[in-house]
Amino acid sequence: MSPVTSASALQVKAVSASPHTATGIKDVPELTKMIDVSVCIGCKACEVACQEWNDLKVDEIRESPPQTYQTLPDLEYNFWQLIKFNETERDGRLLWTLTKYQCMHCEDPGCLKACPAPGAIVQYSNGIVDFVQENCIGCQFCVTGCPFDVPRISPTTGKVYKCTLCSDRVSAGLEPACVKSCPTNAISFGTREKMLAQAQGRVAQLTADGLDHAAVYNPSGVGGTHVIYVLPHGDETSLYGLPTNPKVTFVNLWKGPLKWLGNLVFAGGIVGVVLHYLRYGPREVDESRHDDVKH
Amino acid sequence: MAQRADGRNLIVRYPMIDRVVHWTIAGTFVYVMLTGLALFSPPFFWLADVFGGGPVIRYWHPIIALVFLAALAVLLVRWFKDMKVDADDRRWIGHFREFVTGDEKVVADAGRFNFGQKALFWVQSASAVLLLLSGVTLWFPRSFDVGLRQAGFIVHDLSAIVAIGALIVHIYMGVFVTPGSVKAMTQGTVSARWAEAHHARWLKALRSATPQARH
Ligand code: HEM
Ligand code: SF4
Repeated sequence: MSPVTSASALQVKAVSASPHTATGIKDVPELTKMIDVSVCIGCKACEVACQEWNDLKVDEIRESPPQTYQTLPDLEYNFWQLIKFNETERDGRLLWTLTKYQCMHCEDPGCLKACPAPGAIVQYSNGIVDFVQENCIGCQFCVTGCPFDVPRISPTTGKVYKCTLCSDRVSAGLEPACVKSCPTNAISFGTREKMLAQAQGRVAQLTADGLDHAAVYNPSGVGGTHVIYVLPHGDETSLYGLPTNPKVTFVNLWKGPLKWLGNLVFAGGIVGVVLHYLRYGPREVDESRHDDVKH
Repeated sequence: MAQRADGRNLIVRYPMIDRVVHWTIAGTFVYVMLTGLALFSPPFFWLADVFGGGPVIRYWHPIIALVFLAALAVLLVRWFKDMKVDADDRRWIGHFREFVTGDEKVVADAGRFNFGQKALFWVQSASAVLLLLSGVTLWFPRSFDVGLRQAGFIVHDLSAIVAIGALIVHIYMGVFVTPGSVKAMTQGTVSARWAEAHHARWLKALRSATPQARH
């Protein structure tokens, strides 16, 4: 595969707790990873590739949920992507909705907005959202800010980790490790327009095959995501363990009006007492009058 | 009852234990407030560096908060009786305007604490309880579901805002408006004139309880 982008892909667009970040002016293409659920066979090659490229080792394989093939019950700080083996009964038959689960690289990332530590989360112009562990303070505000429940803290380092969309590989013009490993081409990577068009094409094919509700998952509540899905049952996102309408409304309320209310009370309080002092002054007690203290 | 150099009486307002507990509350609250502010809003993040860096304050904020709460609990027990809102407080509320503008004579007839002090105390205590309940959800996020954690942030922020607002008024009143209050909380005593000017009913009650308090 030819390089999808150049090294300039890692131009900073937004930085946590730094409202006035200077953004670059280079015209960097937005990139997107597309996951075609209808083609995934659950071989877990992507899980292995992710662990290997990122030099991650799970300390212990914990018990999976009963009777599934899932590697782990959920994401871990050192296990950044997981094939969820979701099982549902449909018309008396098993419906297996294998879903590759990882950070969605939101256009409007709740994690970054929630983060109080300057520089601990960055968003690049190409759409990748990356955690910078040197600046992470371990507060886990991102855990509450993320509508996809992705960030995980390491009990040993006290820092939060997640899928980087292989920002290191992408900055060198390579595709993410999971994309490279997939034997069925269920995962594609490229410019955003190209991936959206490809996804729409697949949806048209699936619809023609009789899957009337096939759809692209690119939720608008978070401004769209840089990881998108082709879902055969697009009207039932819960089959795939994906939120139907993820939003960052709470984060916006928390980081917007609530902060302003605070600033108003703090500043108003200080200005108020200063003005009160200037107008009314202290209440001195005349200590020289000791004759009139009533018993 | 201590004697002043000029022979006049000094009245013990806050015994040693009250003073130690009060300054424990003050110190821990200020630490927790400043470290909380560092996380509250990016322009305050430099406070994190003052206190040893982000990871350090993230670790200590909730722990020092527990010390604050424990000390507050002691004061709650010790002052509960004097902080009870009673019928005389209604009159104080009626004269709130005069209190604000400094014509304190009409409201000087207060017990050990006037209604303003009582209100501040109860507001601080209530926000401390809310800060604890909500703070625990921020402390151990994986033990609570996302809805509770979101409510936790809203409650933690709102109660911190109320508590800090109340603290501004508290410090202003104690340090700037009523000279003698700081000494009451550092050395423990006030003059009879001070007591009469601000807490006449308290003075009266003290005198009838301890006849030797008369001079
Ligand atoms: C009483 C027990 C309290 C507990 C258990 C607690 C716990 C926490 C925790 C766990 C956090 C997240 C960051 C961190 O761990 O440092 C936090 C943040 C914060 N705390 Fe507390 N805290 C308490 C009391 C207070 C008090 C007394 C104040 C000050 C008025 C305060 C103000 C704040 C603020 C402003 C934040 C930032 C929240 C935000 O950015 O939305 N907390 N607290
Ligand atoms: S999925 Fe979660 S962690 Fe990933 S960018 Fe969105 S908010 Fe951040």
